[in-house]
Amino acid sequence: MEEKNQSASIQPVAQKVLYDSGNELAAYAAKQINYHVMGYYPITPSTQIAENLDLMGAEGLHQVKLIAAEGEHSAAGICYGASAGGGRVFNATSANGLLYALEQFPVQSGTRMPMVMNVACRTVSGPLCIKGDHSDVMYLLNTGWIILFADSPQMVYDFNLIALKLAEKVSLPVVVAFDGFFTSHQKQKCFVFEDDKTVQDYIGPKLTRDNPDISAFAKETSTGENCFYSVLDFDHPISVGSYMNEPDIINNRYQLSLAMDEAYRKLPALFEEFFLLSGRKHDLVTGYQYEDADILLFLLGSSYHTAMVAVDKLRERGIKAGVVTLHVLRPFPAEELRRICANAKTIIAADRQDSYGAGGGNMSLELKAALQNMPDMDHHIKVLSRIYGLGGKDFYVEDALALFEEAISGSAKDFEYYGVTPGTTEHSVCTADNSGHGIKQPQYFAPLTREDTVKGITTCTFDHEQGKMVVKGGLLKDATAMPKRLAPGHGACPGCGIPINLNLLLMGIEGNVVLLFQTGCGMVVTTAYPKTAFRIPYLHNLFQNGAATLSGLVEVFHERQRRGEYPEGDITFIMVSGDGGMDIGMGSAIGTALRNHHLILFEYDNGGYMNTGYQLSYSTPMGAKSSTSHLGKSQYGKTFFHKDMPEIMAATHLPYVATVAESNPGDFIKKAAKAAAYAKDFGTAYVKALSACPLNWGDNPKEERNVISAAVDCCYFPLYEIERGITALTYDPEKNKKKIPVSEWLGMMGRTKHLVKAEYASITDDIQAEVDRRFARLKARAEHPLL
Amino acid sequence: MDEPLKLPVTNEYGYYEIRLESIGGLGANLCGKMLGELGALYLNLNSLSFSSYGSEKRGSPVKAYIRWCKNTKPLQVNSPVTKPHLLGIFHEGLISSYPVLEGISKNAKIVLNTSLSAEEAAKKYHINAGTLYCIDALSIAMECKSRINMVMLGALAKASGFIPFEMVEKLCKDTIGKKYPNLIEANLNGVRLGYERTSSLEISATEKDIERKNDSTETSGETDENSAFRNDFGKEHYVWGYRNAPIGGINDRIGSTVSNDLAPSREGYIPLFLPEKCINCGLCDSACPDFVFQFLPGIYKEKEAMVNNGLDYTHCKGCLRCVAVCPTGALVTALERDYPEKPYEKKNRDLLPDEISYQESGANSWITSDSYLTEKRVDGGVL
Repeated sequence: MEEKNQSASIQPVAQKVLYDSGNELAAYAAKQINYHVMGYYPITPSTQIAENLDLMGAEGLHQVKLIAAEGEHSAAGICYGASAGGGRVFNATSANGLLYALEQFPVQSGTRMPMVMNVACRTVSGPLCIKGDHSDVMYLLNTGWIILFADSPQMVYDFNLIALKLAEKVSLPVVVAFDGFFTSHQKQKCFVFEDDKTVQDYIGPKLTRDNPDISAFAKETSTGENCFYSVLDFDHPISVGSYMNEPDIINNRYQLSLAMDEAYRKLPALFEEFFLLSGRKHDLVTGYQYEDADILLFLLGSSYHTAMVAVDKLRERGIKAGVVTLHVLRPFPAEELRRICANAKTIIAADRQDSYGAGGGNMSLELKAALQNMPDMDHHIKVLSRIYGLGGKDFYVEDALALFEEAISGSAKDFEYYGVTPGTTEHSVCTADNSGHGIKQPQYFAPLTREDTVKGITTCTFDHEQGKMVVKGGLLKDATAMPKRLAPGHGACPGCGIPINLNLLLMGIEGNVVLLFQTGCGMVVTTAYPKTAFRIPYLHNLFQNGAATLSGLVEVFHERQRRGEYPEGDITFIMVSGDGGMDIGMGSAIGTALRNHHLILFEYDNGGYMNTGYQLSYSTPMGAKSSTSHLGKSQYGKTFFHKDMPEIMAATHLPYVATVAESNPGDFIKKAAKAAAYAKDFGTAYVKALSACPLNWGDNPKEERNVISAAVDCCYFPLYEIERGITALTYDPEKNKKKIPVSEWLGMMGRTKHLVKAEYASITDDIQAEVDRRFARLKARAEHPLL
Repeated sequence: MDEPLKLPVTNEYGYYEIRLESIGGLGANLCGKMLGELGALYLNLNSLSFSSYGSEKRGSPVKAYIRWCKNTKPLQVNSPVTKPHLLGIFHEGLISSYPVLEGISKNAKIVLNTSLSAEEAAKKYHINAGTLYCIDALSIAMECKSRINMVMLGALAKASGFIPFEMVEKLCKDTIGKKYPNLIEANLNGVRLGYERTSSLEISATEKDIERKNDSTETSGETDENSAFRNDFGKEHYVWGYRNAPIGGINDRIGSTVSNDLAPSREGYIPLFLPEKCINCGLCDSACPDFVFQFLPGIYKEKEAMVNNGLDYTHCKGCLRCVAVCPTGALVTALERDYPEKPYEKKNRDLLPDEISYQESGANSWITSDSYLTEKRVDGGVL
């Protein structure tokens, strides 16, 4: 971090020092701007931005309306709607979240709605990786968004302010990108404007045509530059989003292209203006020791600073090395880049992503293209393309030195990956303790055969008279004989409910099972490479798409069996989801149920996005604290009721719906057996377990079964099933004289125990009333022969 | 502090570097954050800090890194600290499982949370370089109702030899005091006792010893291509690479997590099995997230039944859920240190090999965000 604000000639306005990370500073900038709306969906490593904004909101420090979407696609939609309504709009995302929302970005830019989105860059799955590289942000190059790239936390703050001003100057959305973790999570000493008003004055009001106070129409003060359409404008009604084919669309695109040119022209003045205000000077392209350098390293992000240290080392040895980076990717500052690279003989273009098959990452390709147009080039510049640091692989000074030294050696290939490892050879495969070589990796388990798992402990037959499945056996003491389909040694937290629920489910299901997990804690803790906990076939797909993926798998199984390519016999297919997977993946699950594929959808509902550090999910209890529903003087926790997923699934008229709880293990095992039987003979079965998360529920791991039991007894999580449309309560706390008030359960968990206090009585009363209402309806249905 | 503090020692790039080694739940992340803040806002240094990244799990290894330099110098290096000047080890159990001592030189100061004296600890853990400072952070935290990380903060300040105690005190008052005023007195006490009660021992080691020590933490026979992993200590060394790993990240080593030894996840307690009280109801098996219980066909009350043969403690993370659900008291809580040989230990019933070379590990570690509970854990953690 450079402290240029001490420079004598500039009189910057009052600033204060913070010790914060890139994510915290993005949130701080958003708080100071006081955006109207942030539509978001949590995804590592950008999540902290919404978390910090929520924390500040809970303290009443801003009025940004935070809207937790059910997926990034919807988050982008929320942002689009809010910007079409004349609002100032903010978003933050990463990796696959960004790709999930991708189709929305050209809509935002093509209809010319300004907004700001932070991208904490992370590698794109699969295999799933949460660490940083630039493979996500490069997907944005063709979306028509302006892309600023910050290489330090300070720059994240500065660019967030400049971004909004730029966005509104050219009516384009702007991305502020930065390295996930390296910049998003590292804390550094940074300067922020002391007074929020400084920021608001710097950006100025948004002149939306429908604003009576500042309306450009009303006062005729429009300069044409900062004047926005609004779909809330009844004086001048507009249609946004025309149906537009040739010959018009090319003109629309050309307008967008011209706006990019305009942004390119305006950026230097904006940087200068910000310099006068803050004392910090930013450039489209910047370099270190590049003027006389023979060899240049060109890279993006936090690595730039590390490379500067390597350059100093090389200069000590008399090697004329330099380093170059970009702070603006769109519009691409080709001319500035050419100028800075003009004297180099060799440039190592190191990308933290690959445009597979193109012979380099995107920045390397664009650099090469830019150098083609060198007007009076008197020498050839050799460009070496390197791919480095994928998936968060650290970049040390030694790595920068190695990149330079390889280029200097003269034998360097044009394109190469840096930092890959071949692995040990076949003859010296892994030893479990890494202590040495030559010991063959043991096979820990034999594959489970059908015979191993068909034990006749829990069996199910369909009673045609009653129209119901009848379960025999299912006793816990006998079911301990079932082999575990998951191995121990997985990385779940002590006391985690997920493996417990999976175990109970699988205890009741005999025969061959194929598992599919959506992203979530269950997946992360079981398959940390190079190990896996699964002893049976397993497939992962991303958070929103498990049910659809399993549909495809089931159908190919049946089709291959029909064609005689696969042996006879049944398989139970189970999709496992939790951590809010039934928010983002609900559409996929409903589609699967409507098509009625023969499979089980199993939800472990742990009431939050626990794999990313507990942000609220729609099934988080109302009033619960989470890292996106803080408790503060102007917020009491989550503000809406818990989602009733079984009822939503029931509305698809699928053959079987059940809720299960570990506190009633016998009932759990029997319902699991029924679900498998329904999946075999009738179609889709949906089973939901309430799953304890000691870490984020804030309770003692040891007590979790009591906590689950209390959730059942207070009717927050009633145990019931719906067999072919007929509802049956399988456990009635009232009849069993076990019914307790909801507050008793809420008081057991750190996340909700504040609700027991008198000051939150009205919230707790509301929760109680809602729980009672839902339970009364359920009971009424259970008592009616048709429902 | 208006005058910038002079750093007593820096590395070749001009940085003073600190590394904290801990398990999740002991507050090392917060301690690292506070040290970073201390440098930036109280010692008038340039400062950077971060933790090992990933999903947040309790009871698993966590690292925090802090890098300081003089205020006029930019902080350019953002990679993990490999050669710390000051090393804090929050959980002594880590030393045997992970190369937490890696990168220690003779000038390094090591702060170890242990009830042992510096002499005993140096001998037990073969610490052969640097100056060792021992502090019984757990006892002190319990004594003054503070937290281990606060005691460690005090001890780290003391060991550094240059961090002024008043500044640490001021930092605590400003951060914890503002947010949780009712906790500040106890925590300040913890910091103070940490500062006062450290016992130190200078380890006289020759340069050769140090080299040997550093060499021995590297896997032998590494090729140049593998040397890029030199800093990935504490992780499993990659044996699958681009030449031999199945394509697509596909994994055919079924159930291979079974070779993980989860003992480091335990916080000092284990379930103890009393078979004479067991009615083989299976409730423990239904409540165990780690599939520890080994039920095998046998005879119970003169009938064929699945009988609990004991526990595979290798995978027990010590959550004690089984103790809570056991209806007959056949499972009870015990202090692990009282049972070096665990009674009724029974290997996983389905394992093929007789012997497994286990790899010690915790629950999946890493920090992606600060849990809203992080700073509220006032229990001091239980070792």
